[in-house]
Amino acid sequence: MTAKTESPLSGASFVRTFAAVALAILALFSIDTFLAKTERAESGVEAARFYAEGQHLLSQGKGAEAVERFRSALSVERDSQDYQLALGRALLAAGRSADAEVALNELLQQNPIGAATNLAMARVLAKEDKIEDAVFYYHRAIYGQWKEDAHANQLTARFELTDLLSRQNSKEALLAELLPLQNDAPPDIPTRKKLGHLFIDAGSPARAAATFRDILRTAPEDPEVHRGLGDAEFASGNYRTAQMEFLTALHLNTADREAQARLDLCDQVLELDPTQRGLSVEEQYQRSRKLVEQVMNDVTQCLGSAASGSAQELIKEVQDGRKKPVSAAGRHAAYEDNLGWADRLWQVRKTDCKQAIGVSEEPLALVLAMVGR
Amino acid sequence: MMLTRVRRSLDELRQSETHLSLALSLAIGALVGLVTVAFILLTGRLAARMYPPGDAGWRRILVPVLGALSTGYLLYRFFPFARGSGIPQTKFALFINDGRISFRTVFGKFFCCSASLASGIALGREGPSVHIGAGLASVIARNAGLSKEQVKSLVPVGCSAALAAAFNTPIAAVLFSLEEIMGDLHASVLGTAVLASATSWMVLHLILGDDPLFHVSGYRLVHPVEFAVYAVLGVVGGLGSVAFVKLLLRLREVFAKFPKQSVWFQPVAGGLTVGLLGYFYPDVMGVGYSYVDKILNGDVVLKLVVLLAILKIVATAVCYASGNAGGIFGPSLFIGATMGAAVGSVAHSLFPAYTAGPGAYALVGMGTAFAAIVRTPLTSVIMIFEVTRDYTIIVPLMISNLIAYFISFRLQREPIYEALAHQDGVHLPTAEARAQAGRVRVSNAMRSVPAVLSPSTELAAAAAQWTDSSLEAWPVANGEGLCSMVRKVDLDNALSNGPPGTTLADLLKQLPEEPPTDLEFPHVHPDHSFSLALERMGSSGLNVLPVVSRANVRQLLGVVVLDDILDAYGLGARTIPYDS
Repeated sequence: MTAKTESPLSGASFVRTFAAVALAILALFSIDTFLAKTERAESGVEAARFYAEGQHLLSQGKGAEAVERFRSALSVERDSQDYQLALGRALLAAGRSADAEVALNELLQQNPIGAATNLAMARVLAKEDKIEDAVFYYHRAIYGQWKEDAHANQLTARFELTDLLSRQNSKEALLAELLPLQNDAPPDIPTRKKLGHLFIDAGSPARAAATFRDILRTAPEDPEVHRGLGDAEFASGNYRTAQMEFLTALHLNTADREAQARLDLCDQVLELDPTQRGLSVEEQYQRSRKLVEQVMNDVTQCLGSAASGSAQELIKEVQDGRKKPVSAAGRHAAYEDNLGWADRLWQVRKTDCKQAIGVSEEPLALVLAMVGR
Repeated sequence: MMLTRVRRSLDELRQSETHLSLALSLAIGALVGLVTVAFILLTGRLAARMYPPGDAGWRRILVPVLGALSTGYLLYRFFPFARGSGIPQTKFALFINDGRISFRTVFGKFFCCSASLASGIALGREGPSVHIGAGLASVIARNAGLSKEQVKSLVPVGCSAALAAAFNTPIAAVLFSLEEIMGDLHASVLGTAVLASATSWMVLHLILGDDPLFHVSGYRLVHPVEFAVYAVLGVVGGLGSVAFVKLLLRLREVFAKFPKQSVWFQPVAGGLTVGLLGYFYPDVMGVGYSYVDKILNGDVVLKLVVLLAILKIVATAVCYASGNAGGIFGPSLFIGATMGAAVGSVAHSLFPAYTAGPGAYALVGMGTAFAAIVRTPLTSVIMIFEVTRDYTIIVPLMISNLIAYFISFRLQREPIYEALAHQDGVHLPTAEARAQAGRVRVSNAMRSVPAVLSPSTELAAAAAQWTDSSLEAWPVANGEGLCSMVRKVDLDNALSNGPPGTTLADLLKQLPEEPPTDLEFPHVHPDHSFSLALERMGSSGLNVLPVVSRANVRQLLGVVVLDDILDAYGLGARTIPYDS
């Protein structure tokens, strides 16, 4: 479609108009570029001020107010990953973990290997009890890209992960995280103490004991290390050694209530344990009788009249067996019988009783665990 | 040499309408984009200096009052046409003033709106941008010596370019220009509007970078039950929008009753209102997009958003009605977002497992209020999608929009921009009126099929069958259907001059301008408008046209006669000398 325009003006005017438009475009482009540059500079300063205020508030534990500041910073500089990350952390601090998750997810979409973001996300998920996801993000944080001080940050992330796994009682996963830490962690005493305790949680008391013994070479007077070693030995079933370590810990720090509690438990176990070395046959027999009696009381109290047919039969068998007179020569056989009954009764306790094993039953449980072995 | 070549190229360009439209669309797109970016940046920087966040409260009262006073005087004294939003003014220019908007108005709009919005007046920047864009397009077109029709065709092009840059929504900008400014989604300027919009958007991105206007988390429908909540939001949004529009129009009537001499001083009422409200709630001031951004991200306190929705309605209504420069486009989004956030907050606290957070409702609320206030439902859906770049919430938005639109239509028949023009004594052609005109179709006046003539009929017999002498042509059909229309004048000539036994088939072949039998002769379809039928009657010189099926053009459905069309318009039957 071609048609001549009905122009009241000359071609020169037409050219002049186009020239004026071109000049205006050039001039406006310069002005806009200048204005945009000024805007960016001023906005950057403004955003940085909001960010600093937010960090200050966050350090004071004022998460909700920090969220406000970080949002303001982000509204000025939307592309800033630092501000977005800070917002995610502040939201978590303010108890808004769902919002924090959304904010951090956005950031992770932009930069999936950002280690700091992954760490923050792991913390959010841990708080939301999404443990598997949290572990996944902790790993991404550990193996991700840190902007600065990568080694220290990786250690922090790994220790956070081990704490989480320890709380979750995930022994195998915890041990898997601890093994690399054994070599990578700094050799300072607090870190090694922490490692020792974590090895106990991971079900590796031998490694824990080795770690604490290693520390004792440089810090022999540290009561916490002795207590740790006591815990490790206790977990290994070496109650006598553990008792010694708890005593040492208490000697070095008489106010250590934890050591005192462990020592008491040790004493009770050692007092009840009929399998200890060095006991006379008579002592073994008497302890085994006491053990059967305690387990019997425990089971009858727990089951009452609700005992199953097989449980009642066992109780009757034990009661009848205990009535039989035992000669001096038959003490060892009776000791073995007692241990057998105690073990069988304890199995009934464990399967038929709905009540969990209480603190008062702990020494009994520990001794019977040894008997079972 | 170079200059001569450029001159020659421009001269060639001037001769080709198509090339000229494209070149002008590009130039307008670039220029309007740059001016709009300058407008946005200038307004933002000035606002940051006039009432910086955390500054003394008295400043939030003084600055809007002084801003309103100074711009009020300038508008009264120098730029009377730069007052208000700019959308009704643009439509006025387009439909009534041959697309003419003066450079003075453009200049006044730019500076008065910058100052006004920067001082905290609770109005938007999109309406003024549209006016500025349309004005620049008009100025360029007129200076380039284009015809009135060409100037008019470039006004919506400028509007699209301006809105694309002001709101970062190139598609919604085109739709808005067609849906609201032109009132016709099939307007022929679509191509040039798209071109200008895209150019302007590119300019925006070149200077300000790629960043959506609002950053929104990925919201989605949590549970089908949510549709009910979105329906409630539609009701709330519709009622809130009607309240806003009615309050604004009522206040405007009140201000119009004040003496003429007070016009320059009236904007102070808006400045003072927004200043006093802003003293306690600074988020009421200005465009308020930063607060909308916060709401969209779920940063919502129920009492505060309810209060801000009410305060913004009051502040915007007073600011606009008192004659400040600025639009209602932006405030409608603010009002919608706060209303949506309020509904979302309540719903989420009652049904946390079945509903998304308040941010999702704020997002839908924005579109809902916009659809109900501006009455452009399609634009609102696309706009929300473009603003947020988030498609997942579109269906709830459509439901909510529809309900709000319906409520708004029932309770406030006249759309806001048309009502504003009416208050100014201007009767713009409304979309409804245009639709009404379009609804008058051939089918409304169609007569049933008359007894058709066969091609083998002899002329004398055909004349005898010509039962209605007022019809100047009669359909001729064979076994396959309609094949031609025979004119009365040709039949009469053939009867008096031709040999006996001549048939209609012979006559149709003998005619000097043989009407082809493949239905290229004038005809209409039942859904054609009266205007088209009249046009074809005029060009064919006949007072009757065959009405044929679209599915089979040989199937004769009836005939449409001029007298019947005139009857349908209430003009009664009259005889018109067609030969003349």
